[in-house]
Amino acid sequence: MRPLESRWYPYALLAPAFLVLVVVSLVPFLFAMYLSFHQINFGRVGDFAGWSNYSRLMDNERTWNSLWVATKFILIAFPLQFILGLGGALLLNKRVWGRSVILPLLFIPTMMAPIVVGLVWKVMFAGSWGLLSYNIVERFGFLEGTSVFSSPDYALLALALVDVWQWTPFMMLAFFAGLQALPVSPYRAAAVDGATPMQMFFRLTLPLMAPLMVVIGMLRFIDAFKVFDTIYTLTAGGPGTSTEVPSLLAYRMSFEQWRIGESAAFAVLVWIGFFVLCSLFYHVAKKKLNAF
Amino acid sequence: MNQPASHAPVTANGSIKKGPIKRISRQEKVSVFWTLLLIVIAFIVLFPVLWVGSFMFRPDSAMFARPTEWLFEPTLVHFRYVIDNGFIGYLGTSFALASISTLLVVVLGTPAAYAFARFNLRFRDDLFLFVLATRMAPPICMVIPFYMIFSNIGLIDTYFGLTLAYLTFNLSFYIWVMSSFCKDLPVALEEVAILEGHNRFAVFLRVVLPLLRSAIVATGMLCFIFAWNEFMFAFMLGGQQVKTLPVAVPELITTQGVRWGPMAIVGTLSLVPVMLAVFLLQKHIVRGLTMGAVKG
Repeated sequence: MRPLESRWYPYALLAPAFLVLVVVSLVPFLFAMYLSFHQINFGRVGDFAGWSNYSRLMDNERTWNSLWVATKFILIAFPLQFILGLGGALLLNKRVWGRSVILPLLFIPTMMAPIVVGLVWKVMFAGSWGLLSYNIVERFGFLEGTSVFSSPDYALLALALVDVWQWTPFMMLAFFAGLQALPVSPYRAAAVDGATPMQMFFRLTLPLMAPLMVVIGMLRFIDAFKVFDTIYTLTAGGPGTSTEVPSLLAYRMSFEQWRIGESAAFAVLVWIGFFVLCSLFYHVAKKKLNAF
Repeated sequence: MNQPASHAPVTANGSIKKGPIKRISRQEKVSVFWTLLLIVIAFIVLFPVLWVGSFMFRPDSAMFARPTEWLFEPTLVHFRYVIDNGFIGYLGTSFALASISTLLVVVLGTPAAYAFARFNLRFRDDLFLFVLATRMAPPICMVIPFYMIFSNIGLIDTYFGLTLAYLTFNLSFYIWVMSSFCKDLPVALEEVAILEGHNRFAVFLRVVLPLLRSAIVATGMLCFIFAWNEFMFAFMLGGQQVKTLPVAVPELITTQGVRWGPMAIVGTLSLVPVMLAVFLLQKHIVRGLTMGAVKG
């Protein structure tokens, strides 16, 4: 036995944190489960309701709509973030001056409060006078007089672009960190063999970066699915239900319509879905990246 | 590829001669182009923030102008509004709440992260997955049960209640990132201290903690920023007594219209700790945000 090993000591170190995590995470989950099987009126728990909350949730068109909206949102935002992020990372990896000044500046959108991100884009796209709504949207004749966020056709697209603005820098910096950690010797060998930069990128950089890309991609995917703050400020799910992502639907269901039982059922299902995604993420990251 | 970028002329005694001619090599010329491109990109990315920042000093007439007015006579009237409407107080609340919860996270999380990194725990993967899932769960899923529990036991709109809620994402995040930092510590120092007869907890306090100092500061600061930026918990579980800056932002959408100028000020105020953290922590941030998965 190594001198640091002891049967109880590591568990004593873990205990306080786990006690708290059980209280703040497992208890709410179990309570949500309990709520989802009961009738709840005006915040009071009523009779046992069996699966009725779940079946009403499944019958509701808006449930499926929210999943479809989230899917569209991710399908627009994610590939753009990914490609722009990778391009940016390759650029950062060149010999450039002043990287230590530019790098932290690029972090700002990612680290800003999402509610403030929403505010910034509210100003950019505001009604008829916002910088972008007047100079681009209106001048090029997309829309007139109204905000893109109140147009059913453009609202989700605009929200996805806001997400791209917020998270591309993150992708860029994560990929840049990956590029910096790549081994040098394969590139030397390739250079000796006379490989072109294109060949090096497709034959070396991409395969070497692939595991990292998968992990970062999963992380972003998980995050994009739970987006709330920016959408809440910019469209609040509207117009109609055209930008109502699952988080927004759960919020509207519970705190605007007080259908707590149904939204608890929704929370439980989303939670289980996330748990599956998480364990997938964990195993991929552990295997491919030797992380954790 | 294998050649150094420039060949500095070397004098007979081996020191580098400061020649009068500084020839720009081809590689360096290329880097000027990439640098400029990068600056342009950074400017485009940051432009919306700068533009909205200008609203702090922009009179209302210049805000709504069509066509867009690029230049305007600055005014301080929006600052008056921000001060008169108690936003400095919300700033204090935000700061207090973020500090308290971060402190608690560091105290609870550091030993746990160390335990994860250093010992062969039974069910290690399962425990870690539990931590991970706690971090990943969408806040809306947490806020519904929290709201029901808190309103029954009187924790709505209290610092204690919000601190508890913040622990869900921050404690798990902290354990996750810190355990990857802990793994990088050399184990030999601890083993020597044990062999010299120090007890295990003393080793943790006297040997491990000092080594972890900068990692604790970096990860703790990220936790502070997450708490500072948090909206949904503060919005649903806070209220009048405990109102944070992000919650105060949507309040500027009044019945008489949106107060854009004060909004820009509040938004900029909320950016101050973020900027500070970003400049101080740039080396640790990638690793923090990707949660230890990338050793950046």
